[in-house]
Amino acid sequence: MERVLASEKKFVDKLKTYLLFAGPTTLVFATVIILPFLFGIYLTFTNWDGLSKAYVFVSFSNYQKVLQDAAFWTSFLRTVKYVFYTVVLVNSLGFALAYALTGNKVLGQNLLRTGFFVPNLIGGIILGLVWRFIFSNVLVYLGRTLNIGFLSYSWLANPTKALWTLVIVSVWQYSGYMMIIFIAGLSNIPRELIEAATIDGATGFQRLRTIILPLMVPAFIVTVFLTIQRGFMVYDVNLALTNGGPFKTTELISMFVYEKAFLAQQYGVGQAQAFLLFVLVAAISLTQVYFTKKLEVEA
Amino acid sequence: MSRIKAGLSMLVFVLVVSLFSAAALAQNVHITVLNSKGEIQAQLEEIAAYYSSITEGVTVEVAAVPVGQSPFERATALYASGNAPALLMVDAGDVLLFQDRALALNDEKWVADAIENSLDMATAADGRILAFPVTVEGYGFIYNKAVIEQALGGTFDPKTINTRQALRELLDKIEASGTASLVIGPEDWSLGAHFFALAYATQSPDFAEIKKFQEGLKNGEVKLADNAQVNGLLDTFDLMKEYNYDRMDPLASTYDRGTELIGTGEVAVWFQGNWTWPQIKDFAAGNDQFGFLPVPISDNPADYGNTQVPVGVTKYFILDGEQNSPAQQQAAKDFLNWLVYDPEGQKRMVIDASIIPAFKNITITPEDPLAASLLEYVREGRTLNFVLNLPPDHWAQVGASMQKYLADFVDRAGLLAEVEAYWRGL
Repeated sequence: MERVLASEKKFVDKLKTYLLFAGPTTLVFATVIILPFLFGIYLTFTNWDGLSKAYVFVSFSNYQKVLQDAAFWTSFLRTVKYVFYTVVLVNSLGFALAYALTGNKVLGQNLLRTGFFVPNLIGGIILGLVWRFIFSNVLVYLGRTLNIGFLSYSWLANPTKALWTLVIVSVWQYSGYMMIIFIAGLSNIPRELIEAATIDGATGFQRLRTIILPLMVPAFIVTVFLTIQRGFMVYDVNLALTNGGPFKTTELISMFVYEKAFLAQQYGVGQAQAFLLFVLVAAISLTQVYFTKKLEVEA
Repeated sequence: MSRIKAGLSMLVFVLVVSLFSAAALAQNVHITVLNSKGEIQAQLEEIAAYYSSITEGVTVEVAAVPVGQSPFERATALYASGNAPALLMVDAGDVLLFQDRALALNDEKWVADAIENSLDMATAADGRILAFPVTVEGYGFIYNKAVIEQALGGTFDPKTINTRQALRELLDKIEASGTASLVIGPEDWSLGAHFFALAYATQSPDFAEIKKFQEGLKNGEVKLADNAQVNGLLDTFDLMKEYNYDRMDPLASTYDRGTELIGTGEVAVWFQGNWTWPQIKDFAAGNDQFGFLPVPISDNPADYGNTQVPVGVTKYFILDGEQNSPAQQQAAKDFLNWLVYDPEGQKRMVIDASIIPAFKNITITPEDPLAASLLEYVREGRTLNFVLNLPPDHWAQVGASMQKYLADFVDRAGLLAEVEAYWRGL
């Protein structure tokens, strides 16, 4: 009896401590994340338009519509393509910058680090508008005055090049941020390992390939995860830079879902798409984390 | 435990909020107007401030729909947060979606003074009038008179442009004088909701026939390729593409650039609507000689559509019947009546905000030349239906197909197949 009471008391104590420290966060998390998420899943089974009070339960027909919607999958594949190129380019450029800007070799190292990081501090909408001006006015002007063929026409108006403008802007936006993570990773590599390898006669490239890169896997896990997740969720740059155009050739998946829910006023279908997207992105990110973790090595 | 706590704090929160609002109501009736016509935000704010200053105990405030958001979407968010404005300016096609939320306005005085057909889009199946018609708008080819007259070397009578051939000759003469003749704005909303909508509007003066045509598209019975009006309209579009100032890079232009080109007279003709005037004015340097030409769809001047421009009520005010108090609803009704019947209200709406009113009792004429040109068409009975009952994403989807056609990424058969597929997929 006593023991039961004691353990009960212990539990109450623990609960008190938990509520004291994590209570507010739990409450906020539950009300702004968990509840809307569950309510959203409920809405995927209805034909709600977003406003009306009368809506009916339609079981799985919204999901069926999504699975059969060719435009949804086209947009999803386009997003996968965009994510692939941004992940590769952001991480390689971010790592290259970090590698170049560590060790006391470069003059103005800190200034350069700050400079590369700054784009990440600008909001996506403003960034999109700035780059829209660059792509449709500055580059076209340069192309026409200097007679450079591929710059003479706005890339934003070209269905095969417009997606690349999104990739370019995203790379510019995120490389600096990933660079910071890589710099932290690089400075954690024990100096004696590098020194030992140097004494053993390893060249710079050998050191990079056999010592630095394997030890940087934890950093890559984080950066690749971040870039994948941000890539799939991108909306602001997409909206401000191309707005899905020309003729929907750059409409990435977030924008597609948004338009289905709010523009076409099919809230239930839009929610179903969003939920499906959540499942797909979670699956892709977790697979990535699982497999890259296997590459981790001990120093 | 945490659930009880959460419940309690929610309760306290609700009580505090309702206390505050009750206290506020006791002294002053505060109503909010949601504006979805960004170009008149400043004018509406002035009207609201003036109205608040002349009425005892009523404050009117104007909130704007953020750029890039649709009025309907904004309204859903405001309703979901229990914070609906007293008056919501929504697109004509969305009015009926507010059936459950809007106050019926059948007993209002202005109902009898509203112009013919202006309440059609606002009347529910059960006969309730759900909304107040805010503004009449129309579109066509906007022309810069000075540029055309210089090219012609004499006066220009817009009524002479009643066939595609006449339009071609006019554009030729303008080009011959060394000025660019025409520019096509590549915006999806302009091409989808306005230009392609002419294909529906020119089917018949009778709106029921237009609806029948749309039904035929939905069930796949109507074949666009066999339709004379559709082909005629696209023949005219081909002509426009030929003379397009931006033909080298047709999708790169922007709306803002269009207002500048027509305003400064760099280009003589632009396909757009009367809502562009506030921006055109900024570039026109005092020139106010602008007007509308119809978009001809054939070479026979007698064909329906060759001498008419589409005109319709594009925006309505929904009066919230759910989340505003009876006092606020009454204040909103009084405000609408003031706009329609008070000379100061009329003047501020028509002259200051360049709104073409939908009421017969208002006799003031707007000073803006595009509105004046539209009114002339209305008074002469030369109007088409502004087709506003299109599905909500029609402008985006058909607009995208039209952009492909504009940039030659798809031929006419491909375009029509895409439009037909869109309608069948609804």
